[in-house]
Amino acid sequence: MRDRIVYVLGILAAAILVWNGYAIWQLPEETQQGVVFKIIFFHVPMWAGAGVTVSLALIASILFLITKNFAFDALAVATTEVGVAFLSAGLVTGSIWGRQIWGIWWTWDARLTSALLCWLLYAGYLMLRHAVEEPTQRAIFAAVFNIFAFLDVPIVFFSIKWWRTQHPQPVFWGQGSFPPDWTRHFMWNMLAMVALGVVLTFVRFRQEETQREIDAVRRTAHAF
Amino acid sequence: MYLLIAQIAQDALQQDRVRLQHDYGYLMGGVIAAWVVLAVYVMMMIGRQKKLKREIDGLKAMVEEKQGR
Repeated sequence: MRDRIVYVLGILAAAILVWNGYAIWQLPEETQQGVVFKIIFFHVPMWAGAGVTVSLALIASILFLITKNFAFDALAVATTEVGVAFLSAGLVTGSIWGRQIWGIWWTWDARLTSALLCWLLYAGYLMLRHAVEEPTQRAIFAAVFNIFAFLDVPIVFFSIKWWRTQHPQPVFWGQGSFPPDWTRHFMWNMLAMVALGVVLTFVRFRQEETQREIDAVRRTAHAF
Repeated sequence: MYLLIAQIAQDALQQDRVRLQHDYGYLMGGVIAAWVVLAVYVMMMIGRQKKLKREIDGLKAMVEEKQGR
């Protein structure tokens, strides 16, 4: 039953993204930036998806350290991996927008640098998991590292407020605004991307649990 | 002279604005790149799922072999 709900959620998210993608295509061009501005409909929701998943990873890591329940470790790795996928897509879309508007693919301003650092930290977390063989030790090291990596997330979020950056100020959390129909399409994409994140996390979580069970059975089988 | 420079600058700005308004290349590139990243991740998940299935099959065969002895 739970599987069915998740797969229905996945189909819904895909349907919203297709329908909304077509609707966004039909919207008029933005006055200053032209058509490339529409990247915001994908760039920001991907960062929102990343924000939600890495926040869940933080909670799961803390809960693992408190309870030593390996389900939380599996949730942490699932959410972090999905978060890294969203972070990668967010960085790529931002870079392509920058090339068109700024004339450069990349600049070392506070927002972009902290965002890249965030990606490197979470990619490091995934590599750390491959480097440690013993499951309990791996889970503890990974949980501690995940908490440490999260320290960069508020810096990414607030960097555009704390420092003068080349990255623009937020549309909804600054002086900017969207026309109402643009806001509606933007919010639909936010919702769909978070739903997609939930589905991917669920599938990855199941895989991690299955892998743990396989490893346990294999150890037992070799013991006899 | 100054009027000429101002006119040239204004023309250049107008050209740039027209270019930005109608250049779908970067928008398409951005959208496609984002979906390619997510698609690659989904493909990796499918690959991992297949590997897990192979491991389960291997384990089943091992258990059956041990029971047969």
